[in-house]
This record gives sequence, structure tokens and C-alpha cells, in this order.
Amino acid sequence: MNYIIILIVSAVAQYFLPWWVIAPIAFAIGAWKSETAFGAYAAAAGAIATLWVGYATFLNSNNDGIIVQKIGGLFSENIKFLKNLPVVPTFFTIMAIIGSQVAGLSATAGYHFRQLFK
Amino acid sequence: MKFVKFIISLLAAAGLTYALNRPLGAVPALGRLFSPFEGFWQNGESKLDLPPTDLQLDGVQDEVNVVFDDNRVPHVFAKNDHDVYFTQGYLMARDRLWQMEFYTLAASGRLAEVVGERALELDRYSRRMGMADAAKKVYENGKTNKIFDEVLNAYAAGVNAYIKQLKYKNLPVEYKIIGYQPEEWSPYKTILMMMNMRNVLNGGSDDFRMSNALSKYGMEVVKDLFPNYPSNESPIIPTGTKWNFTPVPVPAVPAQTTATLSTSKTVAFDVPQHSPEIGSNNWAVGGEKSATGLPILANDPHLQLTLPSIWYQMQLCTPTMNVYGACLPGAPGVVIGFNKDVAWGVTNVGSDVMDFYQIKFKDNTKKEYWYNGAWKHTTMRIEEFVVKGRPESLKDTVYSTHHGPIVYNAASDKNFNQNVPVGHAMRWVAHEKEGTDLMAFYYLNRAKNYDDYRKALTYYVAPAQNFVFASNQNDISITPNGKLPLKWKEQGKFIMDGSNPAHDWQGWIPVDQNPTVKNPPRGFVSSANQFSADPTYPYYLGWRFAPSERAIRINERLERMQKATIDSLRMLQNDNFNVEARRILPVLMKILNADSSENKNPAYQTLAKWNMKNDANEVGATIFERWIKELRYTVFDDEFPMKDLKAPMTYPSRNRMWDMVVKEPTAKWFDNVSTKNKQETLQDVVKLSFKASIDSLTQKLGPMNPETWAWNKVKSTDINHLGRLPGFGRQDIPNGGGAGIVNATTELNGPSWRMVVQLDKGWPKAYGLYPGGQSGNPASPFYDNMIDKWAKGELNELLFMKSKDEKSNRISGTVKISKK
Repeated sequence: MNYIIILIVSAVAQYFLPWWVIAPIAFAIGAWKSETAFGAYAAAAGAIATLWVGYATFLNSNNDGIIVQKIGGLFSENIKFLKNLPVVPTFFTIMAIIGSQVAGLSATAGYHFRQLFK
Repeated sequence: MKFVKFIISLLAAAGLTYALNRPLGAVPALGRLFSPFEGFWQNGESKLDLPPTDLQLDGVQDEVNVVFDDNRVPHVFAKNDHDVYFTQGYLMARDRLWQMEFYTLAASGRLAEVVGERALELDRYSRRMGMADAAKKVYENGKTNKIFDEVLNAYAAGVNAYIKQLKYKNLPVEYKIIGYQPEEWSPYKTILMMMNMRNVLNGGSDDFRMSNALSKYGMEVVKDLFPNYPSNESPIIPTGTKWNFTPVPVPAVPAQTTATLSTSKTVAFDVPQHSPEIGSNNWAVGGEKSATGLPILANDPHLQLTLPSIWYQMQLCTPTMNVYGACLPGAPGVVIGFNKDVAWGVTNVGSDVMDFYQIKFKDNTKKEYWYNGAWKHTTMRIEEFVVKGRPESLKDTVYSTHHGPIVYNAASDKNFNQNVPVGHAMRWVAHEKEGTDLMAFYYLNRAKNYDDYRKALTYYVAPAQNFVFASNQNDISITPNGKLPLKWKEQGKFIMDGSNPAHDWQGWIPVDQNPTVKNPPRGFVSSANQFSADPTYPYYLGWRFAPSERAIRINERLERMQKATIDSLRMLQNDNFNVEARRILPVLMKILNADSSENKNPAYQTLAKWNMKNDANEVGATIFERWIKELRYTVFDDEFPMKDLKAPMTYPSRNRMWDMVVKEPTAKWFDNVSTKNKQETLQDVVKLSFKASIDSLTQKLGPMNPETWAWNKVKSTDINHLGRLPGFGRQDIPNGGGAGIVNATTELNGPSWRMVVQLDKGWPKAYGLYPGGQSGNPASPFYDNMIDKWAKGELNELLFMKSKDEKSNRISGTVKISKK
């Protein structure tokens, strides 16, 4: 349930607000409804990973994958080990890690916040 | 315990979020950059990414219709001047905002603000050159011209209308990666953009290199090796053309023509040299030589190629104008193009318009300098540099004399340009505050005939250009045009004496006395950056122009051409014939052949069979180009070292070298002065350089092989990103050509726009393209879509519409802009 709520709320919110709005949203939902620390983390991380990967997949297919190739080329000139990795999966993974960790850690913090008052 | 858990988890979450939301050194804010809602994913464009069909904007006065064709070229139909330039600004910003602003940051010496320390020395150099200062003065002075002011302001308002509605997620991706925001546009920034062009095309000097040669070898040698006019020239204004004017008096040559070089301080600086490949071609054939009986005009300006592309195609239409052509991002109007009646194009004039003066200061405060028998005050300006990643700004004091700015006060290893003289002032045409250059294009865009063309040219200042022209009244013309200093002979060939008033620039060649020719008997006009006119022209323009090989080839082909068509001119633009090889290869081969062991050499065999064309797959071109470079180095680098840190010089021209090879085979210059007990002859250096060339090619490419040694593999044209972002350019583009070739495509330079226009009593037919695409967005399919066709030498037919309602199957979308 938390997974769905975070996914929908942050999809709408990110349309209007900066990307880091996922942190307070995950925090709030984590504080409001979570049963366990890990449950809070997993729901938020999973929701944002799903949302970001899903939306980026849509944008990427509209663009025939040009942008991710260019950004991939740019990064791998500066960070050599990226040269040996396939661009598309690598960049989707990096993105998913960034989004999911911010959301997951925030939701965990929200859960522990709630515990202060129990 | 609960509290500790909370604090730890909160710190982890907040810390991570904070860290990902801010740049770290060169790494941009990764959270924002990777978020699909804001970051780079948002920059991916789909094939048909056009503005909304109904666009409401603050700032238009009336309805504007924009038609986009299948190459994403906007055709703007407006009801008045204001709206057409407003819309031009809006659309250029939409496609090229990052590029436009980047040029202005470079010209005003502000790159370090966005990219940090590594641009600082370049910035210092730009500030000392005073381009920002000059741009301000040009605009202040120019805005008294009402049309000029209105055009620039309408354009700026259009750019700003686009910037104002931008959100982070729509920013050009370069802003996201480098991590900064666009600033408001203004007319001043358009002038900065033009300053950038003045710098690219007029910002070179050989003065200090020549002074070094003079002080080492004396005037006799310099006159012999660095003549004021080459032996093989084919000048722009055909020899024999009458000068239809009474020349104004030219200042007398003073007794002392150069500064006496102070021996304590060597003159070492690195203002870029004239770069011959930053040249261009243009020509027009008259009706008697064309298949249609009316003129055809062609132009291909060569510049250092970059992405986003240097040019942007547009059609601009109002009730009083309908013009199509190549525009410069950041500037209103069409720079190279055509309308119903006329077509025009430009190439650079290589006249000497940047001179240096040795300045004697009274003391180290640099407050006064010696001039005309008295101490004269300098002016002082403090330049402040904001550097990304530095907490405090830096300051630099620039002193100016009446000649111009002192480019460097003291030699320092960090000087971007290592060649700027200690206590030397720069006199540069780019500082002229008359800068209504854009008005020349304003009037050319509306020109109907030859008289309109001549009138338009009077507005043009710098960088001086060879304006080629053709009209459907069957007139053709070419005019090396701009503000040209009235000099005594050889004035500014060497560093001059800043205290001697006779060394000042003392006036200008009257603009109607700039060299020009209309409908010459030979039936065509042309230019390839060579000398504007032969020595019968009464004024001194400079001693070094681009080498004449391209001009010779263009003129001999046009001479022979009959019933010319668009296609015959297109093929001439792609001509790969090597005029230099025709002249000198047989001579050099004969010298090699004298030793029978050489003619078994496979490289020798290849050269002997070579068709003398720099075609993409030719191995002969690879060997020849390498060889003559090596030969010139072998002959001259011992006596005239280019890279010497203390006293750099320049080599005598290739033309002068070939004259020496043929007519003075025993000249002392063939000897290598650094080999003590040995006297090298012409034969020795020819053989040595041939062997060295083959050795270095073999070392780099392996044993000779038609695949790996092919000219296009060795030349390997790259079109890099303007901001040098790796992965955003295109490398190793397969094509032929070379520096002295009509198809002047080299490693980094080349035809930045190719255009051929066939004039017509009814409606002109035009073809063109440039190596890139309309969009500046690296993720757009229109970022580099024309490169492959360009490399093959093909052209696109240009859609020149009669009205907004014209039907065409090439139209991909329309946009109606109305008042908000």
C-alpha cells in the first residue's frame, strides 16, 4: 500500500517540485504508515525505483535512446571503467540507486521519527 | 536509543539528499541530473519536437506564422520588422541558447565563471584584448541608428521571452551538466557575439615573429624570404581591372619603420598566427557562363567546425523582405543567403588589422608612457574575475595607451598566449566603435539590385569580408570590404615604435575605394582569401594573405566552365585537386629519382602513380602532405623556429620555398645549421624529409597499406563539441580535401556552410547544408543529421517559400504565434 501511495504522490509532486521532494514524501509516508524499518525502506525505495525507471524508459524510447548514449559517452570519457559496461543498463541502474536510496533512507528516518512518540 | 536511531537515519537520508543536490567539483548535482522528471532524460527529443501549434507570447505585436520544414528549418512569416526579429530570437534561443551564451562568455572573458580555473588564462587574455569593453562602446555608438537599435532589441526580447519561461527541466543539457543558469540576453550580447567573429577572423598577428626574424637576419633577408606579394598569386580583383577613383594621399614611409627592439627583453607572445585554413571560398558566374543565362553564386565559409553548428538556417519574411540563408546564433538577420532577386556570400579578407607597438613606460607604475617627445598618461581598468570554485574573485589591471591595451605587463608562464610582448600595446580594428556590421546584412537581406548591394556594404566594419554578389538583373560583383586602415607600405609588418606619431594608424581607406569589380570580362568573380588586388592597387593592405592554391584552382576551373549549373558549382566546392602537388611533386620526385635505390621504394611508387587529388582513399595524398610539411620543417625550423620560447619566428611561405627549390637550389637555407661539420644540400633535405615522413607514418600506421594509409584515415576530420564535452561531437568523418584544397576540410576546420544559388527572373533555386543540424540539443535527431551528406559533398535543396500558405510535401509542422 505504501508503495502505491509513494509512487502516485511523488509522481504528481515531482511534476511541479524539485526532484528531492521524494525525500520528504517518503519521510512522511514512512512516519505515517510503516510497520517496520525495513518495510518503510523497501516500499519507498521500490516505489521510486519503479517510478524513475518507468518514466525514464518512456522518455528514452521516445528519443530512440540518443540522450542516454550521449551522456554515457560523456561520463565514460571521465570515468574510465564505465567504458567496459553497457550504457543503457548502467545508467538505468545508477539512476535507480540514486532515487531508491534517497527515498528508502528518508522513509526509514520517517519510521524512526514515528517511533520516538510510541 | 530510539532517538539515536532517528538521528542516524535522518542524517543519512538528509545527507545523501543534500549531497546529490549539489555539484562536487566538476561533477554536477547527480540527483537532479539523473531524475527523469528534471534531469538529462528530459532533454531527449522525439523526431517531431516543434513548439505548440498555438503559441502565445508577450512581446509580439501581431500574428506570426512559422512553418517548419522536414529539415526543421523555421520559415517565419511576420507582419512587421519587430515581429520577425523577435521570432528569430525566440526560435534561435529555443534551438541554440547554450551555444549563443557560450560565445558571449568567451568573448567577454567570463568562461571561468562557469567552468572554473582552467579557463582563467583564456579569460585574462580575452579581457586584455578588450572585447567586452569594445562591445559596450559599439552598442552605445550604434544605437543612435534607430533601425539598428530596434532590430537588436526586438531580437533580444525574443530570446528573453524564451529564457523567461524556461524551467530547469527544459534547460539545454550543457547547463545541467556544467551546472549553471542562462542569463538575460541583451543587444550588448549580440555585439559580443560579433566580437567573437572579429577575434576568430581578425585576431591573428605575425608582427613579433617578423620582428624577431628582422633582428636576427636583417632587412635584406626578410625582404627576400617574406615578400609583400607572392610570385604565384591570382588576386581577387582580376589583374588589369581599372581603379575608378582618385586615391587619397598615403602617409609617407617614416625613416625608421620598426621599433628598436630592446635587447634585455625578448619579445615572446603567442597571438595566434593567421590560419590559412580558416579561409573560405566564394564565387559567382555570370549569365554568359551559366546554362540558364542568369548568374549562379556559391559560397563555403571555412571555420573550425563545432557542434552545435556554427550556422542556423532560417527564412525570414515580412511585407518588405523575404530572405533565406545561414544565420549566426546570437545575431539577427541572415548573414549568407539570398532573396528573390539577389544572392550574396562572404569570405575573410586577410588584411593586416592587428598591430603591436613597443611602449616605453616612465616607471613601473605604468601611469605614463613616452609619445611624441612627451610623457602621456595611460588609462587604467580593473578587470574582476569570478572563478567557479574560488571563494574570492581575482583582479587584473589593464593599462591602455592611445594605440590600445597593453596585452601583458610581464611575461609569465601562465599567460594563455605565450607570445604577448612585455609592454606592447595592441592596435586592433576590432576595437573600432563603429560597429553597424549587422546593418550591412539588414540591407543585403532586402537588396533588390547591385546599387542596394553597394549601399549595404558601406555599413560594414569588421572583420573585413569579400562580399560576393549576384542578381537576377545579370550583375555579378565582388568587393573586399570593411574598415581598412590607411597604411604606409609595410606598416605593421613588424612591431612598431609606440612613441613615434608616424607609426600611428593615420586614417582609413575611403570605403568606396575598397577594391571592387563588377561584371569583369572573364565572366566570373571569386575569392579564396588570397590577396585582394595586385600591387597596382594604390593602398597597402598587408603582406601575408592565404596561400593562393585554392584561388588558382577555382579560377582555372571557372575560366574553363561553360553552361554552368548548380551541380557544376557544387562539384567545384568539392574539388580535391592538389595544385601544390602539380607544381612541385615532379620536381621533388626528380630529385629523389637521382638515387636509383629510391624508386624501388613502395612509397615512391605510390606517389609516382598518384592522381594528385586529395580524395578520401588516396595514399599518395597522405604521403605528399606529410612530406611537404616535413620538408618545410627540415629546411626552415633550424633558422626560423616557430616554437622557440624566447624568440619565435615564422617560416617563409610554401610558395617562397618552392621558388627556392626551383630557382635557387644552392640557397644557404637548405643547410641545417645545427649539424656542425656538415653542409646539407637541397638533395639531402628532400631525401631526409621523405625518409622521415615514411618512417613516422609507418611508426604510426604500420607498414604501408591502402586501408590504414588512406588520406581520410590520416586526416580524420573531427567536429568537436563547442564546450569540448566528450561524446557530444562526431569524430573521424570520412572525406577528402585539405588545407590548400578547394574542399578545404582539414582535421578540425572545413566548410561550415555550403550554398549554391541559381538566380532567376521568377523564383531562385537554392541548395545548401552545413556539417551539423538545426538543433543544438545533442539528443535531438536534428543535432548532426546533415553531417553524412556533407561528408559526401551532397547538398539539400532549400525550401524557399513564397508565402505562408504555400503547399509543399516538405512541411512538417506550423506554429501560430499571437499576443498573450
